[in-house]
Amino acid sequence: MLNLHVLSPTLSLNGARPQMRRPRRYIAPLVVIAALVAVPAIAYAATTISMSGATASFPLLELLSAKYHQLKHGQVSFRISQGGASVGISDAAAGRVSIGNSSRPPQAGDPSGLVFYPIAKYFVCVVTNPANPVSNLTTSQVQQIFTGKVRNWSQVSGATATGPIDVYSRTSVAGVLTTFQNTLLSGSKVGSFATQEPSEGLMQNSVKKDPAGIGFLSDYFALAKGINAVGYNGTGCSVANVVGGSYPGVSDFYEVTRGPATGQNEAFIYWIESSAVAKKIIESNWIPLGKIQPAIKTP
Amino acid sequence: MAHAEPVTPPQLSAPPRRSGRRSSVRSWRRSDQLIWLLAWLAGTGLCVAVAAIVTFLAAKGISDLNPTLLVTRPSVSLDQSHSGGFLDPLIGTLTMAVIGTLIATPIAVLSAFWVVEYGRPRWLAGIVETSIEMVAGTPDIVFAIFGLALFQLGFFAPLSFRASGGGVYGRSFIAAGIMMSLLALPLTYTATRNGLRATPRQLREASVALGKTRIATIRRVLLPNVRSDIATGATLGMGRIIGSTAIVVLLLGATLQNNSQGNVPLLGFLRGTGSTLTSYIFENSPSGEGNAPQKAYAAAFVLLLLVLALNGLVARISRVGAAGAVNAGRLSL
Amino acid sequence: MLDRLRRPWSDDRAERTLGAIACLAAIAIALMVVFVAQRAWPTFQREGLSWLGSGGNVDSQLGSMAFNTSAHPAASAYHLRAWPLIYGTLLTSGFAVIFGLAISLLTAIFVVDLAPPVLRRAMTPVIRLLASVPSVIYGLIGILVLVPFVGNDLITSGQKESVVNVIQLTGAGLLVSVAILTLMITPIMTALTIEALASVPRSWHEGAVALGLNPLRATIAVSLRAIRPAIVAATALAAARAIGEAIVIDMVSGGKAFTPKPWDGLIFIYEPLRSLASTIIDQGENLTEPAIRSSIYAFALLLMFSGFMLSVASRLIRRPLRKYELSS
Repeated sequence: MLNLHVLSPTLSLNGARPQMRRPRRYIAPLVVIAALVAVPAIAYAATTISMSGATASFPLLELLSAKYHQLKHGQVSFRISQGGASVGISDAAAGRVSIGNSSRPPQAGDPSGLVFYPIAKYFVCVVTNPANPVSNLTTSQVQQIFTGKVRNWSQVSGATATGPIDVYSRTSVAGVLTTFQNTLLSGSKVGSFATQEPSEGLMQNSVKKDPAGIGFLSDYFALAKGINAVGYNGTGCSVANVVGGSYPGVSDFYEVTRGPATGQNEAFIYWIESSAVAKKIIESNWIPLGKIQPAIKTP
Repeated sequence: MAHAEPVTPPQLSAPPRRSGRRSSVRSWRRSDQLIWLLAWLAGTGLCVAVAAIVTFLAAKGISDLNPTLLVTRPSVSLDQSHSGGFLDPLIGTLTMAVIGTLIATPIAVLSAFWVVEYGRPRWLAGIVETSIEMVAGTPDIVFAIFGLALFQLGFFAPLSFRASGGGVYGRSFIAAGIMMSLLALPLTYTATRNGLRATPRQLREASVALGKTRIATIRRVLLPNVRSDIATGATLGMGRIIGSTAIVVLLLGATLQNNSQGNVPLLGFLRGTGSTLTSYIFENSPSGEGNAPQKAYAAAFVLLLLVLALNGLVARISRVGAAGAVNAGRLSL
Repeated sequence: MLDRLRRPWSDDRAERTLGAIACLAAIAIALMVVFVAQRAWPTFQREGLSWLGSGGNVDSQLGSMAFNTSAHPAASAYHLRAWPLIYGTLLTSGFAVIFGLAISLLTAIFVVDLAPPVLRRAMTPVIRLLASVPSVIYGLIGILVLVPFVGNDLITSGQKESVVNVIQLTGAGLLVSVAILTLMITPIMTALTIEALASVPRSWHEGAVALGLNPLRATIAVSLRAIRPAIVAATALAAARAIGEAIVIDMVSGGKAFTPKPWDGLIFIYEPLRSLASTIIDQGENLTEPAIRSSIYAFALLLMFSGFMLSVASRLIRRPLRKYELSS
């Protein structure tokens, strides 16, 4: 008697015979390949250091991490995102990233238990569009422009632009904003009418595009081509003047960890602070600290 | 009759013309004339807009595009205007399309089969249909936010990586791919369901008459029949995935180069972060930091070509599918 | 064990398996609602519904919330008042949908009735192509072409001076946002309307013409009325897309949480604004701060529910129209 139960899987409408044995042939080689790949992978155990925070120190950290990755033969890789100094600080405090990048020292309101390691010095310049090459501004001029008391270029001596001043600032998570307000604005705050850019790069774009624009940038972005860095009280905004001590708008970049840094984080931070290779990278656009500065702990 | 004269058929007037003379626009009411004018303006305006956009993008794109851009990796710096191409974003776009379609198509097809062929209990089928409609109407950004919330759970740590402080990063190709599949799901589902509904009953009845179970009918009879609809739906879904930016910006880490995570070759790539053409364009536009509008135009041109190719593919598949359906007696011409 | 899977499945098992897979979509939606609501809960818990109202400058509120780096911010930290963002979303999407509806209906009439056959055959794939262009390309054109054009050529210096103490007019604002958004959603609506119009039986139109209507009036009075459910569905789809569009609005809207005021006259269309979706993208990197996170998830909840409400509303509107329905 025909056993239909046996026959039915082997027949289909178009009469072709399905090949049932093939899958078995594939399984063994697949398992072997998977094992060959997985075992060395487990043996390697590479680390990833994740960082977030300041947009001003992002170019520096990119260069440093690329070099470190190379020196460690790919054993340590990095994930760097931005967001602003305050975001990096709070991410490090909550354990969401391994190290936070900050462009400002700790201030009241920061979470406790953090350690700030200074790694480099940077400075802040006021910038304008190259079509409006203002060479110098006094403290009172800078204050009046950024707080909104003066709103037209015709009231600013040395400016070739006319019309209303387009003021660009940073969002409040920015460490560069804190530095700018504390040093160049002598404590005043930027007015709320200003357009707030979330990062250094975007601020640079805005001022480059807008002939009536004025803003402030950290030195890597301010001394780039296509933008005009403005002197302050007669002192040009340059590395030489900062090293000489005559330019006031200076602060440090910090690496922030929850508690004292350990393991790979500590190795990386120590490498930045002490190795000659790292010093050379810092010297390219920023100012090295000279010797290892003490870390600041938040209470 | 004495002599047989040839009988001439009665003379009819000339057969009436099929298309009568259109009434002249001048004779219409004022409001109709206005609408006629506006319709012409809208139509020609749209043509002009399309022509302007396409020629502008083509001109800018061709002038800025050189083939080396397609095979060079982006340079590792914020300023993209001097060097680097967009090989990594291109790979990222293709990867996203593949992962998203691979995940979405089986689920969509099987769901469509269940709803049309089984569909019991009725309230469950209604819930499934409504859910898919809701997925279709949800904005991309909500998917991106949901993905962030979901994949930052500790359970999903293997999909990305865990920072030394314990937080899960949550952003990787796999994470973004899973969310992208939600974009493609409704399109593939609708196409398959419509194809299934258009299959004549006789096919199913013949199969049952031969003694096949319903699942065998689905597998051997219906599935080959709706192949072109599935392909159309999958390609439409692929097009939607390629065009989405919000999910990429939030869920892919938006690093310029594709960074692998860990050392396992394929899995490391999928667990790592990267970028796609859409996020590359966004970063290089004036609202991003890349500072390289020419690269953005070039990438936009490549993206447009990809979309054109996909559209052409959809048109061809549905034409071939229509021909096949005619043969199967589904469509009558 | 593999053998057991290869044996022909019974219908029962197949039905259950397929049903389980089909429920994945429902599970995804349920998970989405649960997750987003759970993350948005702190805002509702501390502010109730008053965070939807207005009061204060949203930018500075977001700024101070982001600045608050503690892990458990005090209740006073959740002081966001999101009305300017909601208003911005409604303004841009509303205008875009209205203009898009008008243009798409007119274009559909043009393509189906008035266009010469050559143009008609050419336009249908073209419109479908436009509908599938990624939104970031429209945003690119907006920000690189339209924004400088509006900022340099359309806005006069006098207009800039008149608002100089409050905002800065740079060209990115309501006008460009609505223009690009309309450009984005019109092809989708047009494609769907054309498809629906083409499926109306020709005899209906010819009958109307036979009764004495001119062809255009016949189309409007008969065919357009017949496809009203399809038009409603297309509009709901386009509206959902417009409300949720984050990247394009982020690029061309000026990024300032300002409420454009219609009584400012012509300057109204140049004023910058911000929508809910573009704020979510902007704050993407700040999402880890608890106060901001719950606000952003509250925005996402709002967007999700407006999407749901739109599809529910379109279903409700279509139901009484079903007696005229030809195609769904």
